[in-house]
Amino acid sequence: MNAIVASPPARRNRRTALYSAVAVGVILVLFIAVLATRSSAVDKQARSPLLGREAPSLSGPSVIDGRPFELTSMRGRYTLVNFFASWCVPCQHEQPQLVRFAHSQGGDTAVVAVLFSDTAGPARDYLRANGGDWPVLADPNGQSALDYGVRGPPESYLLNRDGIVLAKFVGEVTADTLERLVARAKVAGQ
Amino acid sequence: MNALVGQTAVLLGLLACLAGILTLAAGLRTGQPQLLRAGRRYGWALFAAAAVAVAAMERALVTHDFSLAYVAHNGSRSTPLIFTISSLWAALEGSILLWTLILTVYVVAVTSKFRSRVGDPLVGWATLVMFAVSAFFFALMLGPANPFTRVAGVIPLDGPGPNPLLQNHPLMVIHPPMLYAGYVGFTVPFAFAVAALVTGRLGEGWLVETRRWTLFAWGFLSVGIVLGAWWSYEVLGWGGFWAWDPVENASFIPWLCGTAYIHSVMVQERRGMLRVWNLSLLLATFSLTVLGTFLTRSGVLQSVHAFSESSIGPWILSFFGAIVVVSIGLIGWRGDRLRSPGAIDSPISREGAFLLNNLLFAGFAFVVLLGTVFPLLVEAINGQQLTIGRPFFDGMTQPIALTLLFLMAVAPALPWRTASSEVLRHRLAVPAWTGCLTLVGCVAFGLRGIAPLLAFGLGAFAAAAAVRQLVVATRRSMADGSGPWRGIVGRANGGMIVHLGVIVIAVAFSASQAYGHRAEVQLQAGQTATVAGHRIQLVDIHGQHHANRDSMVADVRVDGGRIYRPAISQYFAMAGGGVGTPSVDTTAGGLSDVYVTLAAPPDQAGGPAVIGVVVQPLVAWLWFGGGLIAFGTLLAAIPGRRRRRPVLPASAPAHVAPRDLSAVGSQ
Repeated sequence: MNAIVASPPARRNRRTALYSAVAVGVILVLFIAVLATRSSAVDKQARSPLLGREAPSLSGPSVIDGRPFELTSMRGRYTLVNFFASWCVPCQHEQPQLVRFAHSQGGDTAVVAVLFSDTAGPARDYLRANGGDWPVLADPNGQSALDYGVRGPPESYLLNRDGIVLAKFVGEVTADTLERLVARAKVAGQ
Repeated sequence: MNALVGQTAVLLGLLACLAGILTLAAGLRTGQPQLLRAGRRYGWALFAAAAVAVAAMERALVTHDFSLAYVAHNGSRSTPLIFTISSLWAALEGSILLWTLILTVYVVAVTSKFRSRVGDPLVGWATLVMFAVSAFFFALMLGPANPFTRVAGVIPLDGPGPNPLLQNHPLMVIHPPMLYAGYVGFTVPFAFAVAALVTGRLGEGWLVETRRWTLFAWGFLSVGIVLGAWWSYEVLGWGGFWAWDPVENASFIPWLCGTAYIHSVMVQERRGMLRVWNLSLLLATFSLTVLGTFLTRSGVLQSVHAFSESSIGPWILSFFGAIVVVSIGLIGWRGDRLRSPGAIDSPISREGAFLLNNLLFAGFAFVVLLGTVFPLLVEAINGQQLTIGRPFFDGMTQPIALTLLFLMAVAPALPWRTASSEVLRHRLAVPAWTGCLTLVGCVAFGLRGIAPLLAFGLGAFAAAAAVRQLVVATRRSMADGSGPWRGIVGRANGGMIVHLGVIVIAVAFSASQAYGHRAEVQLQAGQTATVAGHRIQLVDIHGQHHANRDSMVADVRVDGGRIYRPAISQYFAMAGGGVGTPSVDTTAGGLSDVYVTLAAPPDQAGGPAVIGVVVQPLVAWLWFGGGLIAFGTLLAAIPGRRRRRPVLPASAPAHVAPRDLSAVGSQ
């Protein structure tokens, strides 16, 4: 029985195996290509209705030194509005990145921080321990967090020189990502 | 000193891998057995290198040698010794070290087991593949995941200790090694599959030889997954045990593929069919363990379990690519030799059921994989971001899981080749009635909901079918004088105990999802609230000082009886967020769990605290089911009835066996 049917199915089977292997291979190569080109989830930007619009206003005395602050005074610089809390571990983790971004070359970058569910005392200790010399605004009744749509720290918004929101980040940001975005914005003339 | 020893060991390990590969390759090329014999001995060198590296790392951890970056980041003087030892797998670099050690243990086990056949090219190739995989991991430790990097600058006097979540429960000590033993264990069947394809010896011989290896790897992986769920339940404080998180999925997808293989390999052993499929499953299982490692370690996906970010992504992805290219190339090249001699006679037969089982498991694995990577694919195509959550996974996997339960009930009763309705009626009557009565009983008891009721009914059906098989097998082995214990060992019978474990888990999963309650209550000391029929009384809140943390502990009395002590702890080394520790106990004779967390401590002394309460039925069954799976796997690995003929249906009751045998005849 085997002898009669052996050769034609053998050839057919060989092709089937080969074609299936090639098809699966192509799909997997595409899949690997997709995986290889993904940026880290850490750098991912989140969607926000604020993108492309003017950032909600922020004003008040900085809890660090009591000096008055007004967000419009940051016009002309790429500003990162960072919502944080002293009790938030990822915030601590990202703080050195913010310090790096605040002092990146070109001198046209800045950071403003807003307290999220936290008070001035711990925030001062936090900045002393983790670095950062920027204005920190209290947000006692959470109005700014509500305006920006912040759900939990850390969340950050990158504003361009005109105070327009370029990107929103949920979770930690890296200085590299921010600098890349700033460079891209400059090229695009934003 | 530790760094020097460890680094040298890793380097020597890599060199031993390369020397072993070259020796084996030369031996395979020239056919000189003494070269193959020499190549085999490098297995011990690999193991020695990995063992010395692990010993150096453990010594550094235990003696608090903070000159090593790994110890400085994951060790601390205040961490208890047991968690200092387990810090080896608290972060990426150490995990890779553990992975390598386990892999080399497997290498030594394989080379020792097959030492009498060292001249066999199949064994030579398999050893070579395992050396190549080991070489990758040793290279990883010299490249981006170097565990022996030294601290730059001043050596710190103390470190932060492992992530607080990894140092407050003993399960963390055993869960990762178990999981790795499973993950890594699939390297062995993978190596033999590649060897069989390369040598063109695709007979069933190598399958039988690696069956037990696959079974052990599968058993370790199963236990590792269940322990992971248990850890998540006991430690993370959200009251759940499975969240379809990428890390969980990464371990579950290979498990699904491996499970499919364990079933379909029986079809190949019995009937010689499904060869391409079985090889593909083995290759896929191993590839998926590597892909899972990539997805969870490269940071492309956000995960609640992402304890470490690292730069090993491109390395692992390249490794995955290489495995895929080799696997698919070999299958395409050797496709001609894989032609099956047989065909399935009837869909209503054991092999028909296994085929359906395989389609379902493959579908299951595909759905979970798709759900895990879908956000990445969508983002690549149109730049949109989305998340795939619980509803997708629950909705897609539920029908598959229920169908599998049904199949689990019917398949063991089906004979090979073809089934007569008379045989089916005889074998399925009792299980089917058990299932129906359970369903009616549940409805009468007041349980509602299609999915859980189906799960209970089908679970009872399948459980009764498994118990029936065990009873029949025990009775038969007693009848032929080989003792009752023969009725529970061997693949078929041990497999039935594994089935029972899986059924227990499926029922528990379904019940806890459908009938759980969760609530948060605000209580002042002395106040009582009622949640899902349980009286929750906050007795007291007080501080507690430990060597490595300060804790706020709530004494919560449940139902006027046992005191639960959930806590929030502030670890000194981790300024910032507090870590919650839930308190769980099983009540009502194993039927229900009460899970209490301190969701928010009082703002000021004497103020109200928020107590989270989760009441879920049958959660304890999940862990019991895991134990049953482990026990069943062990029994299945013990050789069963040797004199069984391949054509004898394993499930044949004693009195019909002779007739079945004559009816089926010999091939």
